[in-house]
Amino acid sequence: MSSRRAGILCLAALLALCACEWDLWAIATRPTVEDRVRENLTGEPPAPGPVPVNPDSFQFAVFGDPQIGHDNVNNLGRFRQDVAARGIDFFCVLGDLTNDATTDEVDSIKLDLDRVGIPYYATIGNHDLFQADGWERFKQNYGPSCFPVVIADRIKLIFLDTADGTVGPTQFAWLESELQDDRFIKILLTHYPVYDGEEPTMWRLASPSERIKLQSRLGKYGVYAWCAGHIHAWRHAVVDGVNHFTCGTMAPGAPDYGTGKGYLLFTFAHDSLSWQRVVFE
Amino acid sequence: MRVTLLTAVLALAGTTCYASIASSVMLGYRGEPGVESKLVATAMADIVPVQYLKVDAGLSFNVFQNNGVGAVGLGLGAVLFRPAGLSIRFAAQHQQWNDWQAGENRALATVEAGPVYGLEAGFGVARRVSVFGADDYRSPFVWKSDAAEWNYAYRLTWKFLRRESWWLKAGFSSYDLFTVHNPQQFPLCLSGAYSLKDNLDLVMDAGTAIVGYSGGLASFHEMTLNVGVRYEF
Repeated sequence: MSSRRAGILCLAALLALCACEWDLWAIATRPTVEDRVRENLTGEPPAPGPVPVNPDSFQFAVFGDPQIGHDNVNNLGRFRQDVAARGIDFFCVLGDLTNDATTDEVDSIKLDLDRVGIPYYATIGNHDLFQADGWERFKQNYGPSCFPVVIADRIKLIFLDTADGTVGPTQFAWLESELQDDRFIKILLTHYPVYDGEEPTMWRLASPSERIKLQSRLGKYGVYAWCAGHIHAWRHAVVDGVNHFTCGTMAPGAPDYGTGKGYLLFTFAHDSLSWQRVVFE
Repeated sequence: MRVTLLTAVLALAGTTCYASIASSVMLGYRGEPGVESKLVATAMADIVPVQYLKVDAGLSFNVFQNNGVGAVGLGLGAVLFRPAGLSIRFAAQHQQWNDWQAGENRALATVEAGPVYGLEAGFGVARRVSVFGADDYRSPFVWKSDAAEWNYAYRLTWKFLRRESWWLKAGFSSYDLFTVHNPQQFPLCLSGAYSLKDNLDLVMDAGTAIVGYSGGLASFHEMTLNVGVRYEF
């Protein structure tokens, strides 16, 4: 490659970075996952409580990455129709609520999520930290980024903060203590996938040792499922008895690897949990 | 038993081969926030039994966390074009984490070149097979898993400082004798040697890996540091 061509490429990359709405300084100086988790574990802001459901029969939806951009377009209107038609009790959002975390986007997605009209939980994604006040505003709107919640005394949902692409020491220790509780069906909900098939993309937890430690803990403590977003596609695999779901995206424009838009629907009935993938037509 | 067998094979190779043998022992640290923090003792041998063949093998032991055997590696390389150091290498690795009852077996095929003007490069593919559970995790012979995957592997290093009695090399390398990083990590490495006397060097290597860069929130994650001696027979 000639030096002139290399120079033009560097200039183009620099212009692309300058043109995007990300606050690069904020990204470099953001609170790390360790900072955020330590803050979460102080109890401020308080974790959301359990939503009221019929303890014998309930449904909840899980999806990732609404990733609302400056055009404020997403699939939540379509999802709202399903909520009414199927009688979904609550839903969980797996991070990347916005694309650039600007004030407009943060306000807009909060409004759209509230408009669905049922209770919901959210955890944080990397895109939610692309502005200086990203973490502060996430906390104000949705509470901590890692917390457990027990639904109907049957299912324990454990929300994890993997927005940095790693778990961090404090959260790992906290997770292990949460997993030891064997009274409930346990589901982990977070942004990054652990396993991404035989030919993984670059969008999953990076460190092999961290992944192996996590997978060994999930198997040891009989976790039912690890639900993730980040990759805008649907994936399902069973590793060591644990379901690994990548739940897809609610962003209409984002590439979905041909797997379509939609969400993962869990149904608890007759004392057992089942799942199905719902694809938007 | 298998470890003893491997050691015996290495010793036999060392006494019967015609050409060069270099062996090294190192003591070091490997840390990864929230994952593990341990001392690592390694023994490695590089053997050139015949002119166009290279064999490298090693064993590592962990102390303080995941105690006991940590990893075993065996590589076999054939030199295709000597002036460019062009070679093809096949390797097998077994790594285990005793506290977690988890292991991983890997097969690696790479094409490597160098050193040319101090530059060394390599590129290839790795098959990674994670193994969980008390029954199987210690076995280097389990090659089926729910969590098996293909990764590409790469290496580019440059010996940027060379003096009479010492040198330094830096670059990025996603694989070595005992490990293969994921493509989702960006591994950086630095190594060096200081000649203590004829055939005996003080050697060191250090490494780290950047994670999270695919999501735009990069951070340094793991850290390794090893110091030891290398002797050429």
